Amino acid sequence: MPEFTCRLKQFRQAKNLTQEQLAALVGVRRETIMRLEKAQYNPSLKLAVDIARAVEAPIEEIFLFP
Amino acid sequence: MKRSTIKWLVAGGVVCAAALALSIWYAVAYNDSRLVAPMDFSTYVFRPQDLPMLCSGGLLVVYVLALFVTVFRWAFRAKAERHATSYTRTVSPWLGLLGFLGFLGFLGFWSYGVNGSVAPFIFFAFFGFFGFFYEGRLSHTFMDERYKENAARAQLQALRVSFALEVIALVVLGQRRFGGNLDYTLIAMMIVLSLSVALALFLSEYLLYRYDHDEQMEEGGE
Repeated sequence: MPEFTCRLKQFRQAKNLTQEQLAALVGVRRETIMRLEKAQYNPSLKLAVDIARAVEAPIEEIFLFP
Repeated sequence: MKRSTIKWLVAGGVVCAAALALSIWYAVAYNDSRLVAPMDFSTYVFRPQDLPMLCSGGLLVVYVLALFVTVFRWAFRAKAERHATSYTRTVSPWLGLLGFLGFLGFLGFWSYGVNGSVAPFIFFAFFGFFGFFYEGRLSHTFMDERYKENAARAQLQALRVSFALEVIALVVLGQRRFGGNLDYTLIAMMIVLSLSVALALFLSEYLLYRYDHDEQMEEGGE
C-alpha cells in the first residue's frame, strides 16, 4: 500500500524525459524511477531533491504525502 | 588479481609441493621417516638429516602466509574499487557450483567413525557458495540507493535467520540432548555452525536477488 502519491510520471512526461534519461540525470537505475512512479519506493531526501530539480517542479507537488 | 601475481602464486605452490614431496621421500628413504611419521616432539633432538623436512616445512609456512596476505590484500582492494565505482563485482553464476562442495561435509560422519576426525563437517559451510548463483545474476549492477537499501535489508534478514538458528542450537545442545555425549554435542554444534554460516552467505545473496528481481518482474518498461 503506497504511503504517498507520486506525480513524477506526469512531470517527467511534461519535460519529455524517458525513465532512462531521468535515471541517468539523478544517478539511479531505471527500475528505481519505475518504483518511484508507482509510489512503491520511498526515496531519500537527496534523491527527491535531485528529481525535483531534474523535472523542474516543486518537491511537494511531485510527492504528495497525506 | 594480476595475471603475473597468479603465475607467481601457482609457481610458488608447485615449488613448495615439489620440495615437500622430495623431502618426504628423503625422510622416508634415509631418515627413518622422522618428521613424517607421528613422533614425540618433547624428546626431539635435531639431526642434520632433518634439514630437508624443516626447510620444506618452513617454505610451506611462508608460502601459505604469503598466499593469505595476497588474497586478503586483493579482496580488500577489490572491495574498495567496488565502492569507488558503485557497481557490484563481476562474478560468474557458475561459481555457484562450488556450493556442491558442501556435500563433502557428509564425509565427517565417515571420518569420525574411522579416526575420530570431525574437521570435514566444516565443509557444510560451502553450501553458502550456492549464493554465487544469485550474485552472478546481479553482476556489474549499478548500486543506487534502492539497491543498497535492498542489500542491507537482505543482509540483515540473513543474519537474523542465521543468528536465530545458532541460538536455538545453543539452547537445545545445552540441554545435553545427546545423552551427555560431548563428542556428539561437538559434532552437532559444528554442523549447526557450518550450516548457519552457509545460510547467512546464501540468504544474503538470494534475498537481495529476490528483492531486486521480484520488483523488476512486476514493473513494465517504457
